[in-house]
Amino acid sequence: MKSKVFIALFFAFIFCFSSASAKTTITWWQFWTDPDIKPVIESMVSDFEKANPDIKVELTDLTWANGHEKIAIAFGSSTGPDIVELGSDWIAEFASNGLLKDVSSEIAPDSSQLQGWGMSTYQGKVYAQPWILGTRVLFGNRDLLNKAGYDPDWVPVKWNELMYAAKKINRLGKNYYGWGSNTAEKHRLYKKFLPFFWSNDAQIFSDDGKYCLIASDKAVYALTFYKQLNDSCGYVDTQRGIEDAFLNGKIGFILSGDWLLKRIEKEHRKINLMATLMPGQKFPGKSFLGGEFLAINAASKNADAAQKFIKYMTSPENQVKFCKANRSANPSSLKAQQDPYFKSNVILQAFIKQIALAKHPPVDPDWVYIEEAIEGAVEDALFGDGLVAQPLFEAKEKIDKIKHTE
Amino acid sequence: MKNARTVALLLALPWVVTFAAFWLFPVVYSLIVGFTDAQLLAHETHWVGWDNFRALFHDPAFVSSLKNTFLFVIVTIPITTVVSLSLAHMVNRQFKGRGLFRAGYFVPSITSMVVIALIFTNLYQRGGYVAMLASMVGFTPPQNGFLFDSHTALYAIMAMDIWMAAGYYMLIFLAGLKSIPDELYEAAELSGAGKIRQFFSITLPMLKPVALFILVINSIKSFQVFVEIFVMTSGKFDTSTAVFFVYDTGLTTKFQFGYASAAAYVLFVIIAVFSAAQFMLLRRRQPLW
Repeated sequence: MKSKVFIALFFAFIFCFSSASAKTTITWWQFWTDPDIKPVIESMVSDFEKANPDIKVELTDLTWANGHEKIAIAFGSSTGPDIVELGSDWIAEFASNGLLKDVSSEIAPDSSQLQGWGMSTYQGKVYAQPWILGTRVLFGNRDLLNKAGYDPDWVPVKWNELMYAAKKINRLGKNYYGWGSNTAEKHRLYKKFLPFFWSNDAQIFSDDGKYCLIASDKAVYALTFYKQLNDSCGYVDTQRGIEDAFLNGKIGFILSGDWLLKRIEKEHRKINLMATLMPGQKFPGKSFLGGEFLAINAASKNADAAQKFIKYMTSPENQVKFCKANRSANPSSLKAQQDPYFKSNVILQAFIKQIALAKHPPVDPDWVYIEEAIEGAVEDALFGDGLVAQPLFEAKEKIDKIKHTE
Repeated sequence: MKNARTVALLLALPWVVTFAAFWLFPVVYSLIVGFTDAQLLAHETHWVGWDNFRALFHDPAFVSSLKNTFLFVIVTIPITTVVSLSLAHMVNRQFKGRGLFRAGYFVPSITSMVVIALIFTNLYQRGGYVAMLASMVGFTPPQNGFLFDSHTALYAIMAMDIWMAAGYYMLIFLAGLKSIPDELYEAAELSGAGKIRQFFSITLPMLKPVALFILVINSIKSFQVFVEIFVMTSGKFDTSTAVFFVYDTGLTTKFQFGYASAAAYVLFVIIAVFSAAQFMLLRRRQPLW
C-alpha cells in the first residue's frame, strides 16, 4: 500500500513538473540596445508574454559591430536562436544555406500589408518578415541655400540643379562645401552611389540575370556625375564625419537616413533642415532600400510560437510604437505609415514617399562579393588616378567570374 | 623517484592540456583547413589540395596585401632600429632631465594601440595638426586628409608605428649599451680612436645580440601589423596587409575559413624564412658593420 502511494506521488510530481515546463521559451537575438528603444522592446515583449502566458521570450542583444559574426557562428554551430533580426543584405546568405525557415505559407495573409518582401524572397520563397525599413533621402541646409540665393522652399529635383546649387554653396567660403561625399567606408560607400546609379535607370544585372550591366553607359554616366560632385565640391569623410560637418553648418547637401533626425533631436542641433526625394535625371530619383527583418531558425522547435511573436512585433500598432521611440521613419506596415505621427511631419513624409521609390540590391548569397566589387570600383573611380569607366569594367569582370554572367 | 616523476607530470598536465587544446590543436587544424574549401555556413567541406594556395597568388587583393606588408617591414624596421638606437645613445648620456626623456620616449609603447590609432586618425585628418605642420614646411597635404589618400595612407600609418615602437626598442638598446664595459672605450681613447670610430668599432659590434633580438621581434610584429590598419583605414586606400586580409576573408562577412587559413600559413612561412635569414646574417663571425 505504502509503495502504491509512493508511486502515485511520484507520477503526480512528474505530471506537475511536465506541466510547469510546458511553457514554450523562444529566444530572440536583436540589435536594438539604445536606451531610447530597449525599454520599449522589453515592454512589447512583456505585453506579448502577458497575452500569451504559455510563451516566454528570451532576449539577447547584438551590436552592429559584430552581430553578423555572432549570428553566423551560432548558426554555423547549430546554436542559433529561434528568431533572429537580420539586415536585408544577410537574408540570402542564411537562406541559401538552409538555415532559415521558409515562411511563405504563414505570411500570405500579411503580404499585402507590409512593404519590403522583395528583400526577404530568395528563389521564390519568403524567409523573413519585414519589420523596420530604411532608405536615404537628400538632406539640405536651408540657411546655406538661402545664402546662396535660393528661395526658402526651393528643392533640387534634377541632377544638374543639385550640382549647380552644391557648387554655389561651395563658393560661399573656404569652410563651406556643397556636397558630403563618403570616403571608402566598407558597406557604406556603395549605398551612396547606388541611388545615383538607379536614378539613371542603370541596373546591376539584366532582368533575366544573364548579364552583368554594372559597366553600362548609364552606369558610367552616373558614376561620372557622382565623381564630379565629389571632385568639385565634396567634403570627403566617414559617414559620421560628414554628418558632423553637415550639422555644424559646413555642408550644403548630404544623402542620409532617418538616424540623422534622431541625432538632431537628441543633440538639440539647430539646423534649418530641408529633406527631399532623391533628385534624378527624371524626378523623382530612386534611393537605396534596406531594412530589418525577423526570421525563424530552420532548426527551431518553437516555430509556431516564433511566428506568433513575429506577427505581434510587426503589427502596425507596435511598429508605430517602435518608430516613435526610435524616431524611425520607415515602418514596413502600410497601415502604420498612415499614422498621424508620420502624416503630420513633412520630413517623415519624404521618407515614406522615398521608400516607395527605393530599390534594394539583388537578393543573392554572393552579394558580399558583388558589393565588394562595386564598392572597389566606386573607390577607385573617386579616389584613384584613372578613368571612371575602367574600374566599372574591372568590377564587371569580377562579378562575371563570381556569377558566371556575361 | 618514480613517484616524483608522476607528480611532476601531474603538475605539468594543466599546462600541457591547455597548450595542446588552445595552441597546438588550432595550429594543426588551421593547416588542415587551409587545404579545404571550409566556409562557416556551408554544410559540406571538400579537400581542395593546393588550390587555395594557388588561388592566393592570383588574387589581386592578397598580392596587394602582401606587397603592403613587405613595404611596411622594409620601411619601418630600418627606421625604427636607427631611431631607437639614436635615442638610446642620446639618453645614455649624462644630462639634466634624462629620466624624463627616457620615460617620455617609452610612454607610447605602454599605451593602447587602439587609443594611439584613434589619436593619430584625428591628427591626420583634413585640417588636422599634421596637415597644418605639413603646410608650414611648404608641403601640400592631401585634400581629404592623410588617411583618405592611397598615396599617403600607408606611410602615415608607418610613421605612427615608428613613433610608437621606437621608445620600446630604445629601452632594449639602452640595456645593451649599459652592458658594454667602460674599459673598452677607455682603451680605445688611449689608442686615439675618436667617438665615431668608437661607435662603429665597439658599440655596434657589442650590440649585435641586442640588434638581432630587436630585428627579429620587430620583423615578426611588423609582418603581423593589423590593429592600426583595422582602426585607421579598415584596409581601404591601399593599406590592407596580410593579417588584415586573413581577418577580412576569414572572420568578417565572408567566413572563408579554408582560404583565410591558407593565407595565414603563407604569412607564417614568410615570417619563418625572414627570421631565419636574419639569424643567419647576424650570427656570422665576420663583423656586420
